[in-house]
Amino acid sequence: MRSSLLVVIQRYGDVAGGAEAHARMLVGRLRAHVDIEVATTTARDYWTWQNELTAGTTWVDGIRVHRFPVAKPRARMFRSYERRAFAGSHSLADELDFLDAQGPVAPDLAEFLRRHGREFDHVLFFTYIYWTTVVGLGIVPERALLVPTAHEEPAIALTMYRRVFHLPRAIAYNTHEERAMVERRFANTRVPNDVVGVGIDTAPGASAARFRAAHGLGGPLFLYLGRIVESKGCPEMFALWARWRAQTRTGATLVLAGHREMAIPARDDIRYLGELSEGDKWDAFAACSALLVPERLQSLSLVTLEAWSMGRPVLCPAQAPVLASMSRRASAGVPYRSFAEFAEACELLVERPELTDRLGQSGRDFVARTYTWPVVVEKYLDLLAEVRARNASDLS
Amino acid sequence: MPKGHATPTPSSKSSPRGRAVRILVVVQRYGTEVVGGSESHARVVAERLARAHDVEVATTTALDHWTWGGHYATGATRLNGVTVHRFAVVGGRDGRYKEIEHRVLFEEHALEDEYRWLRAQGPHAPELLEFVHRQGAGFQAVLFYTYIYEPTALGLPLVPERSALISTAHDELPLRLAPYRALFQLPRAFGALTPEELALIRREFRNDHIPAEIIGIGLDAPPAPSGEAFRARRGVRRPIVLYVGQVTEAKAVDELLAMWSAYRAAKGEGTLVLAGNVLMDLPRREDVVALGRVSDAEKWAALAAADALILPSHLESLGIVLLEAWQVGTPVLVPAWNAVTAGQVARAGGGATYATRDAFAEALGTVLADGERLGASGRAWVERECAWDAFDARVTDLVQMAAFGA
Repeated sequence: MRSSLLVVIQRYGDVAGGAEAHARMLVGRLRAHVDIEVATTTARDYWTWQNELTAGTTWVDGIRVHRFPVAKPRARMFRSYERRAFAGSHSLADELDFLDAQGPVAPDLAEFLRRHGREFDHVLFFTYIYWTTVVGLGIVPERALLVPTAHEEPAIALTMYRRVFHLPRAIAYNTHEERAMVERRFANTRVPNDVVGVGIDTAPGASAARFRAAHGLGGPLFLYLGRIVESKGCPEMFALWARWRAQTRTGATLVLAGHREMAIPARDDIRYLGELSEGDKWDAFAACSALLVPERLQSLSLVTLEAWSMGRPVLCPAQAPVLASMSRRASAGVPYRSFAEFAEACELLVERPELTDRLGQSGRDFVARTYTWPVVVEKYLDLLAEVRARNASDLS
Repeated sequence: MPKGHATPTPSSKSSPRGRAVRILVVVQRYGTEVVGGSESHARVVAERLARAHDVEVATTTALDHWTWGGHYATGATRLNGVTVHRFAVVGGRDGRYKEIEHRVLFEEHALEDEYRWLRAQGPHAPELLEFVHRQGAGFQAVLFYTYIYEPTALGLPLVPERSALISTAHDELPLRLAPYRALFQLPRAFGALTPEELALIRREFRNDHIPAEIIGIGLDAPPAPSGEAFRARRGVRRPIVLYVGQVTEAKAVDELLAMWSAYRAAKGEGTLVLAGNVLMDLPRREDVVALGRVSDAEKWAALAAADALILPSHLESLGIVLLEAWQVGTPVLVPAWNAVTAGQVARAGGGATYATRDAFAEALGTVLADGERLGASGRAWVERECAWDAFDARVTDLVQMAAFGA
């Protein structure tokens, strides 16, 4: 008999967001092996958690999805709750207030887990940080798996998250770096785990020429893909770019694509293309010298894995613990510590395409070793079996 | 009494089993005046550990477990080598507690009601939880006593990586409530009083990957009581069949009286002696003697004088009176449907069980007929299992399993 899996996540369906996209892709791959349902909220926006979708049972990609209303949206004064909880001398009450203020508070989802959680062989929770995981995990710990998507950030130091990393029966980390960080913080090596991440679908037939022609782009290109927003390190990237362009003779262009949430400097050497179609995205990778990933807090960068799968290297700040370390392990990226290093790397990547291609090829090999769907699915099936084995044992 | 929660100067204790560690014991009530099995156990463990380690206790100001009224002062104090931090109970036990409990145990209700029940039950001591949040990581191990109360249910999840749970759980409805689902997955180690308690925890929560130690209890040698003197003083007809504890239906004393009548009707001999606070109506008959509450000395005299001890209660986390009876060589009789006491009797070989009420008379006859052998077996078992060095070794193992970085 096929086993059953409930996926619990803060948002699901046609919503933006790394963890949410990750969950949906994973569901798409696991459904051939397990009967899957999803429990989520009616929110589409991760900031407001406004109830935009209809509560009740619906279908996404042919998967049954239970949507529960958000009782309390993100607090208007969220930043002040956050400041209090992140202060050195904060109280436990400050932490619980922060969790509620952050949202999405969905009591009906928790109630669903209490009444029906045990009808599933496994319950898979996405992201450690939200109310849905912190509360939900405690209701069905004996059958729970967690995809924490954790990274170094102030929230992870809060006392209330300690239980989240000890409760599940299995943890699927995205990277070795994430696992090392979590185990250092929480001493939770007793929880069975694996580094799993996601699989990357490569796109055959991507064309650099088609991309350049479609957007009228010539010369060397550097690519940034994702939300254009302060928290992703875009201001730092723009500053480095302007300084480098003032001294280089390469004539390179910075191509940006993604949801714009801040002003983009008006310069001839920066081109914003809006949001790219799936096909256009793969063409963009083919056309660029390298991908820029300026964010310092990142658990697993999907675009990085995609760039590597297309044989393109990445440039990232050396202070980004996960990405810099992965780049080194993959020999497929250039971490920079200063403007001088950033500038030198950009010059090299443009001037020595054979070096760039070699780095890119290492990236492609790295992705093929770990981040392909057959590998990912097999690891998940192993973790699910581990959870089932413990609950099946007849101890009475 | 000193105020504030200043950390005392760490002493340089060492134990033969390794370096001294800082240990915190969290328990709902604590002190020499506190009556309660789990609470006494917590104090025994804290004081034994304090011989080799730096031990502190986080508890409330309450003396009784119903009102949780403030009896002790808040702040830090020392008791028998242990630093005790006491925190205020906010609001006492909720006036609607019984009503809320009935709803969560027997009626359709929401998850939220179960957390409301936990809080209404008390002791709700937010400053105790704040203490665990702020200071918990400064201890290598934190031992939590009694699964059911808020300080454990909400406190242990704050320091799972260095915690041990001494749940004193028995098979009761609240064990199935949502707040405990997480609790029983979190500790680094369980300390169980009996193998039956551990089996219950395993069966209910499927957590056999978490290591456990059956810690039992340690006992001082009993005084040398005179059974002769007791019999002479009380002038009761032998054989003396003794019950020690609260005389109440909650402990199944009503059942005991009914079985006693049947035993007597079937030509059984002797007197049923009840030692303990009488909280129910008793029949007026000369073969049933209620002593009321007795002194410790009188309790030991009664145990020595008795030909058998009966413990009829259905739920018991340890049944310490059985151990005390065995200490003075008295055999015991317990119902087979109480897994904990029946298990203790089987392990000690110190008595018998009755499978049904109707089987009581015959079982009692067997115990009385073979009393000397059964009593001696019980005594040998207790002397081995409840010796202080054996107990200390088990508690030390528990601390080592729970300790951070272990």
